[in-house]
Amino acid sequence: MMRSVEILLVIIILTGAFIIASSFAVLPEPRQASPVNLRRLALTTLQMLDSNHELSKVAFSAVDDPVWSELQVALSASLPPDVIYNLTVYEVDSSGSGAALYQYVKHVSNAESLGVSSDASSYFVASSNVTFTFTPEKIGGTLYILNCSDANGWWITGYTAQSLAEDLYKLLSPYFVKTIMVQSTTQLRQLIDGVKISGAPEESVENAVIINTFGESVSMPEEYYQGHSRSSEGYDASAPSGYGYVKYCYTLGQKTREHNWTWASIVGYPFYYVSNTGVFAGEQNNWGIYGMRMTSQGGVRAFLQGLDNQQYQYNDSGVISSVGVVTLNETVVNYCNYYGIYPSSYQTSTRALSILSGYNLTVGLYVFNPADGNYLPGAIYNHVFSGSTNITGSLLALGLTRTPDIRITAISLLSYYRPALYPSKYVANETSRLVVLQLGLVGGV
Amino acid sequence: MAGATIDHLVSLTIFLAAMLLFIGFFNQMIQTAVVYQQHRATATKCSDLLDTMLLNPGIPKIGEPSVFGLQDTEFTQYTLNSSSLMRLNSSTGTPIYYEKTGTMYSNVTVGFGNSLLMPINNSLCKVVNYSSALNLLRINGAYGFQLTLTPVVTFDIEAERSDDNVELRIDVRGVGFPLANAHVSCYFLPVSLSGDYPDFLPAQATEVSTNEAGNATVTFPLEEGYTYVFLASAQVGGLAGVGFYVPPSDNPRVIPFVDDLSAKSVVLAHSYDVPNTAGSGTLAYNATFVFWNEHFGLQTVAMADSTGTVTSGAGGNFSFVTIPSGNPGVLLVAYGNGAAGGVAVLPWGVGSLGFPVVFGGSTAGREWVATDMRQVIVNGVAYQAKLSLWSLQGVQVVG
Repeated sequence: MMRSVEILLVIIILTGAFIIASSFAVLPEPRQASPVNLRRLALTTLQMLDSNHELSKVAFSAVDDPVWSELQVALSASLPPDVIYNLTVYEVDSSGSGAALYQYVKHVSNAESLGVSSDASSYFVASSNVTFTFTPEKIGGTLYILNCSDANGWWITGYTAQSLAEDLYKLLSPYFVKTIMVQSTTQLRQLIDGVKISGAPEESVENAVIINTFGESVSMPEEYYQGHSRSSEGYDASAPSGYGYVKYCYTLGQKTREHNWTWASIVGYPFYYVSNTGVFAGEQNNWGIYGMRMTSQGGVRAFLQGLDNQQYQYNDSGVISSVGVVTLNETVVNYCNYYGIYPSSYQTSTRALSILSGYNLTVGLYVFNPADGNYLPGAIYNHVFSGSTNITGSLLALGLTRTPDIRITAISLLSYYRPALYPSKYVANETSRLVVLQLGLVGGV
Repeated sequence: MAGATIDHLVSLTIFLAAMLLFIGFFNQMIQTAVVYQQHRATATKCSDLLDTMLLNPGIPKIGEPSVFGLQDTEFTQYTLNSSSLMRLNSSTGTPIYYEKTGTMYSNVTVGFGNSLLMPINNSLCKVVNYSSALNLLRINGAYGFQLTLTPVVTFDIEAERSDDNVELRIDVRGVGFPLANAHVSCYFLPVSLSGDYPDFLPAQATEVSTNEAGNATVTFPLEEGYTYVFLASAQVGGLAGVGFYVPPSDNPRVIPFVDDLSAKSVVLAHSYDVPNTAGSGTLAYNATFVFWNEHFGLQTVAMADSTGTVTSGAGGNFSFVTIPSGNPGVLLVAYGNGAAGGVAVLPWGVGSLGFPVVFGGSTAGREWVATDMRQVIVNGVAYQAKLSLWSLQGVQVVG
């Protein structure tokens, strides 16, 4: 009998344990086991409504504006029928006066309460009156953009040098102390002579950046024409027939060194032609373009001889290779994000240069990753005499195939000089509002 | 002595019975908790997977994808790439075979004659099928899913044609409620069926507002010998949607099949040849391409080689046209054979016409299906993305 009593006690204890355990192990509702992520749904709803900045407009509207009812229609239409909402807009107080950080503005809702379960997401909207600006650091020196009206371009198919110059001006002028359009070959001659062309006190011919927007052609002042006053600096009578104006490229190389210029060639083979629509009016570049003469492969050789202060000697041995598809260097890609300039990172190079030996050149910036051995599709070369640490002239050569993308020129120069961007301080009042969307579920389990 | 033995036997029997009973009770409690945990894990996985799909750019225009992602790289957050959505093998429409190209096409359809037909096995832009998606998401054998993308704003349009005009009754609805007081931009493109080829006349545009029930009515003049296509967009409070209407036709028609997404080429076939040749006839066609600008105005892009003929039968030909724009839009192909004709529409990007997308397995017969949803944007059009997820690893409930 005692054993039966003991067993009875055991059963009572087990029953008690089960009842206690059951009271703790409350089964959740299916909705809790597999909940709809209301927080995410609220956030994506707010993002969707603001995809065309419509939510931002409504949030800054007067509280009695009919657009609030349109917002309510949009919310009701976009959420499932079993989802109820409460959208509240708060003014963000950034005055630092010690008042409440958020001040209630208005709310729209389709229910008195938010049902059995709810969640919320918040979203900041900015007033359309707010503008966010950046102030760029200025690169020392002057930017000259060749815009000569008396010269023709080559390999800038689809553009004119003037249109490219205008776009480059918009892209780069904020970063330079002074940006000047070189409007004629006469003004280019003044630069070659070290003479300012604008009269502005900020202008400096020394240490300037010169962008040649004429592609493979370079503008030539008429004084360098055969038989004119500077013929000896512009024309080599002993050069093979038709290529005599390589001597002008040699002079440009010398002046680049003397003035410590950075000469930018935006596309193709640098210094392959010279152009002046006046003196070459009856002559063409072997491809039927009048106002232009070919210097061929000797042009860049002569420029580099001048840059390195070597004795001029006609040399037309090739320095290029067609390397095909090339990719932007990682450094430049990073600066694309910083400066907000996004050319395609894949480009085709048919004029990659191999000029690092023989001219005291070092690479200041790889614009594109090296391809096919020593051939560089795009780079900024610095000229530094042996034993010296000073840069005496630079060349940006982008050996891409036509047509040019001047964004690459711009990002190359910015990646090299790396001017900082200073965002404007954001201190305006009543320019930002907080929108909170609370969602709840009704009905069902 | 005998009494003690009996007492022992009875008490032992009761004890064993009670133990077995309580083991069963506790086991059921634990089982229920385990099942709850598994369901909870499925729900968490569902939310994660949905974000993985919607926030990763993955499916390119050409070639095999390396991850399963639908985000548009040019935008942020929940904005989806309509080309990626085109490459999802639809699990609702019946695939269509076209004998002359020897290709099976995935069928995203919103009704008879209005389909987006993508090649299933084209080496350059074949659709992504369900099993590939499971592998790309690394859930093969563990979970099954169904992804549904439904436009938030839907149009139901009815037309009534009289002698000299067409009255279109538009019903615009959201997911939850009618789209009341919405601004509806209407574009009516008449098509002349006389002449060697059908001819699109300049679009007639008008704007109306819906009433409290989401209804609006517009009327456009249209004479005999003309057909038309009607396109509309609705916007209210940041919510946008698009819809269209083409008159149904029992006559032979032109069926546009996507040929290559990257080359932007489309095959135009005679309906008598689909799936197999079942008659002979010739249809002249005239194609044009339209797209929605950022304010949901309709823009037309000129097409090269926009006219031609398609002929059914053994010696007949199909034609190619090339989409002239990089923007998502709508290819409109007017066709006719002198006596009758119509307009075929092909959305170049599912958002252009508010086509729904259903991708993945079937939820039928699953023990527990977790669902989650997000609001997304496709070509500026609001969509609701819903993922249904179930475990394939066997959940047994005892008791």
